[in-house]
Amino acid sequence: MKVLLVEDDGPLADALSTALADAGVLIEQTAEGGEADFLVQTEQYDAVILDLGLPDGDGTRWLAQWRDAGIDLPVLVLTARERWADKAAGFSAGADDYVTKPFETAEVLFRLRALMRRSHGHAHPVLRVGDLTFDTHTASVTLAGRPVGLTAQESRLLAYLIHAAPRVVSRAELAEHVYDRDHEPDSNVIDVQISRLRRKLGSQRIVTQRGQGYRLVDHEAAS
Amino acid sequence: MSTTWRDRLTRASVATRLLLAALLLVGLLLPLAGLGLAHHFRDSVTTVFDERLDGLLNQVIAGVRYDAVEQRLVHDRELGEPRFRQVLSGWYWQVSDGNDRLLSSRSLWDQRLPVLETGAPRELVGPRDTELRVLSRQIQLAPLDTPLQVSVAAPTRAIDLEASRFNRLLSLSLAALGLLILIGLALQIRWGLAPLRRLRHDLEAVESGASERLGTRLPTELARLAGAMNAVLERDRRRLERARHAAGNLAHALKTPVSVLTTLADSFPEEARRRLKGELARIDDATRHHLARASAAGDGTLNRPIDCHATLRPVLDGLSRLAQRRGLVLEHDLDDRLSVRLDPQDLQEIIGNLLDNALRWASHRVTLSGGRDDEGTWLKVEDDGPGMSEADCQAALARGARLDEQRSGSGLGLAIVHDLVKLHEGTLTLERADGGGLCARLWLPETSW
Repeated sequence: MKVLLVEDDGPLADALSTALADAGVLIEQTAEGGEADFLVQTEQYDAVILDLGLPDGDGTRWLAQWRDAGIDLPVLVLTARERWADKAAGFSAGADDYVTKPFETAEVLFRLRALMRRSHGHAHPVLRVGDLTFDTHTASVTLAGRPVGLTAQESRLLAYLIHAAPRVVSRAELAEHVYDRDHEPDSNVIDVQISRLRRKLGSQRIVTQRGQGYRLVDHEAAS
Repeated sequence: MSTTWRDRLTRASVATRLLLAALLLVGLLLPLAGLGLAHHFRDSVTTVFDERLDGLLNQVIAGVRYDAVEQRLVHDRELGEPRFRQVLSGWYWQVSDGNDRLLSSRSLWDQRLPVLETGAPRELVGPRDTELRVLSRQIQLAPLDTPLQVSVAAPTRAIDLEASRFNRLLSLSLAALGLLILIGLALQIRWGLAPLRRLRHDLEAVESGASERLGTRLPTELARLAGAMNAVLERDRRRLERARHAAGNLAHALKTPVSVLTTLADSFPEEARRRLKGELARIDDATRHHLARASAAGDGTLNRPIDCHATLRPVLDGLSRLAQRRGLVLEHDLDDRLSVRLDPQDLQEIIGNLLDNALRWASHRVTLSGGRDDEGTWLKVEDDGPGMSEADCQAALARGARLDEQRSGSGLGLAIVHDLVKLHEGTLTLERADGGGLCARLWLPETSW
């Protein structure tokens, strides 16, 4: 999961991005609405964490602009204001959820995962393809009921594939959503990691569609 | 005894005081005026009476002459007053030489009037115990040596009759006058004190929260008073606002660093993290608690009925957009006239949290409805999500705790709602909705404070 954190308070932005990165979230951060605006228009994110009090304008203003421009990505609003009038303004601008300060990292993570799951149209928190399950609350993976150990990178890759399933996901899309923009991988790296995943989950589960990308399938049903 | 009396007098209403004073004045002045008038009237009636007596006396004197042939006094002149001829009518005249009655009116019969000093009229008791007013004069008739005493008498009953008729009329008139004056004064007091009543009314409205300021369409003196009171109210309101603002700013300023520390604490060893988070939770609880108290208008002095629909519109707008983004429908059916006595922020907080919670659980639809019963206003938030068992509902309200750790935040919202509702002496019940989801039913009393 790749998330843009827009927060002008340095210590908070650093602490939160470290904590989220530890939980396996790929995080990019900026302190300004203007830069966030640029990034949102040019990069692919799974969600945005948006602080409302930004130095260059209220967060809701940027949010409303994105929504007007048809940018539909999930936005989690971060605010110190607990009054409902303020929250309602955030929702009116197009926010999908909010977290009031002070918050637990676990709560932010939980909301982010729920947003991502919903944006892919999944109602149930546990995603399932055949006997492969992915719990969006905990990012834990089981295969035929047994837990599977994955690295952070592998987990992100699988999470994206299983959220998108049964759609085909291109390498470029994976590169955008699963990898840091400063360390964009060549297709080789992706191929290597896909084959590692195949080794852990079974080679039939991730199908390569020539010239299009990868697709997560229920191999029982397929065979 | 005297203290209670004095006490009661000090506490008597202004209207009572004015009426008492008026009663005292009218009760004292009108009888005095009546006495004076009666006295003067009797005087002037008596004067007229005396002039009549004097006229009659002159006529009698003019009719007396000495008959030289018969060698005695005769009176051969008809007098204008016929009652001198009726026996013992009370109208008499008499001529005497100081000892003997020489001549008299027929009415005097065998009686005689006492011989009086001449001069001013005198009153005496005559024949048949009638009170008479007598006027006498001494004359000297030509051939006689001794002076003659001529007296004319008439009954004072005539004066008494006229005076008492006048007094009766006077008392009646004065009583009527007194009554009219009192009625007039009562009306005047009522009219004069009406602005004070209006002022009291306004003050009560401010007290109960129905209004924010006093009306100033009052007489000059009171308008100035009301203006001054409004200024005080306004200043208080501003101070309260400033204090709330300051408390809010302080709380919000604390939240970001607390967030940082909470997040950093996650990387600490277990024991240190537990203790650090415990202390951070205390800071957060204290901030929330005091911020809520500072901004709660639940103290009850300035709560007026607010329009539910208008107050909730921003919240409903925001959440409708959210529902739409989540592919849900948020329906609301609120009567435009539905009102509730609550701080607008508190109502937004309560309904916002309930709706937010419902939107997290709903499958397709969340509905907000409201209405009124005999004693208050109810509002209902229903969703078509999985709902909760009766035991869970009970537990959630009993503890006001998180219903589901997985959907964190939602439980906290319910806890806030529960606290707010209790603060306003209302009730919050969670039950199974008709469609199977959760129904949160909120009831607020009409006159809770």
